[in-house]
Amino acid sequence: MTPSALLWLLTLAAGIGLLALALRQRAQIRQIERLLQDTYGKLERLQLHFSRFAPNDVVERLADSPDDLMASRRMVTVLFADLKGFTAMCERLDPELMLQILNGYFREMSRAVTAHHGRVTELTGDGLLALFGALEPNPWQAQDAVLGALAMREALAAYNRTLRARGLPELDIGVGIHRGELLAGVMGNEELSKFGVVGDTINVAARVERLTRDLAVDLLITEEVRGELDARFRLRGMPALPVKGKAEPLRTYFVESAQVAAQPA
Amino acid sequence: MAQLLSEIEWGAPLVPPVVLPEWETEAKQRYGGSSDYTRRVAPIPWLRQTCAAWMLCPLTALPVRLADLSFLVVSQENSCRYCYGAARAHMRILGYPERVIGQIEREMQLAELDETEQAFIRFCRSLARSNPRPARAQREELMRLGLTEQQIKEAAFLIANNCFHNRVASMLACPPVVVYERLGRSILGRLLRPILATANRKSIPVPSDFVAPEGARFARITGALSGLPAAYLLDRALNGAFDSPVLSRRLKALMFAVVARMLECSFCEPESRKLLQSEGFDEAETSACLASLSSPKLDAKESAILAWTRETVRYQPAELQKRTRALCDAVGTEATLEAVGVAALANSTVRVAMLLA
Repeated sequence: MTPSALLWLLTLAAGIGLLALALRQRAQIRQIERLLQDTYGKLERLQLHFSRFAPNDVVERLADSPDDLMASRRMVTVLFADLKGFTAMCERLDPELMLQILNGYFREMSRAVTAHHGRVTELTGDGLLALFGALEPNPWQAQDAVLGALAMREALAAYNRTLRARGLPELDIGVGIHRGELLAGVMGNEELSKFGVVGDTINVAARVERLTRDLAVDLLITEEVRGELDARFRLRGMPALPVKGKAEPLRTYFVESAQVAAQPA
Repeated sequence: MAQLLSEIEWGAPLVPPVVLPEWETEAKQRYGGSSDYTRRVAPIPWLRQTCAAWMLCPLTALPVRLADLSFLVVSQENSCRYCYGAARAHMRILGYPERVIGQIEREMQLAELDETEQAFIRFCRSLARSNPRPARAQREELMRLGLTEQQIKEAAFLIANNCFHNRVASMLACPPVVVYERLGRSILGRLLRPILATANRKSIPVPSDFVAPEGARFARITGALSGLPAAYLLDRALNGAFDSPVLSRRLKALMFAVVARMLECSFCEPESRKLLQSEGFDEAETSACLASLSSPKLDAKESAILAWTRETVRYQPAELQKRTRALCDAVGTEATLEAVGVAALANSTVRVAMLLA
């Protein structure tokens, strides 16, 4: 073999070697890209499922920048709703049927809250906790909460009609709304954490909801909420009643109606 | 909220395109022709002119590559099916591989972007989202990475500009331009790339030495864009919007104030209050109106538009389209079109005001 032929052969071998290396690398890059796409797909699915357990905004912001949701103090309007006579109803009805009724109830109430810029953050038993202004600033949070509660009243009336048509017992709710500063954000530890709120405002909203039973009405607000409403809201002052944890009796107002242009839900 | 193109829920168009001879002639002379988009807003002269002129805003400071990234990222962030589809096609026509576009959309750290481009994309998303608006630190980071103050100002306007079109197209549910989107993926598109790229980069001549006169509306905000064509375009749009006779000036000032309050803008709300004073709203009346989104001085149609305005700040397109359709049923097409334009302009102006913070 001549030296030039040997050189050609070596060059060819080197060329084939480089081509093989390039093809191998390309295949590896493609494999990594596929892996990244799969991982991204899994993350998207996880985010979708996670959204059912926590507000969608919280999930997104946690994914983008976890520091955004460090607990911080903010002015929030809290709506607390509970079913009246739920325990007695549970004793009478089949648990599966009860769950079906409850899921329908939560679906309708959540829609009413969401249509008025609120976020349902907790469902506990038959209780529902909704926050207005907790995730993003909302200058009209008190008005939104009351309009949301009025929409819940209407939605429940419609839902009760469907229950009645199916021969099922109707539901009755009590709603309490209070406004105040509280700590909102992701709280918990490495093992278990959630987006939540902490503060006396929550306790007061829950106590106001309890007062709906004593005062035989469905929707009560506190003085702090009333102060944010204008004359379009028809309110009726209720007698001040003592509540747990408060030195002074609590003054509340029954919301009869509101003359506000309806927003499409 | 960032979504992928296929995930965006989009309704039927709110209004049909309207061919108005005077607009067709003007558009041909000044902007190279009208489009389906500008025809849908054609009944409102200032809005059709703003839509056409802002689309052709010349860049004088910012590199075109960053402008391309901004178009894609902001349209995606605002989930505008119309603009996002066009932005993707635009990127494909300009030669960006599908893989790179996908990486930008999915915010992959491995995207073939340098540190400045990645920081710029974060800035675009943050300003488009405005929850809260980007802090001064984010601008300083861009300056540390080599962007000049003028470039950042131009970027802010560009993002506000994209937000404007995103809102107009979303509220009107403009149908995606499927032919253009297909062109981006086709062989014909690749062959015509040089011609299309040149056409896509077309701009109109706009003075860059514009200085807003003393007492001009939102002069501090247009002043923040001094030395850029954007200052002239923003001032012209603001004057066009406020001088239009379709909706009352006080309602438009209130709409600006609502958007400013929602985005906690300490520059735009006082400016709006100043305008409201000249329209007969004293401080107490303005405060009461902004606290309740209603006023005895507003009629039923105005009240409906004011209440709807807040929905244009943070939204899901399908929900916004539903609410805009309900508004249109209540107040009529002409008033809705002007309200759409004013709300979009208010959202953009408040974003530009970020430069003053």
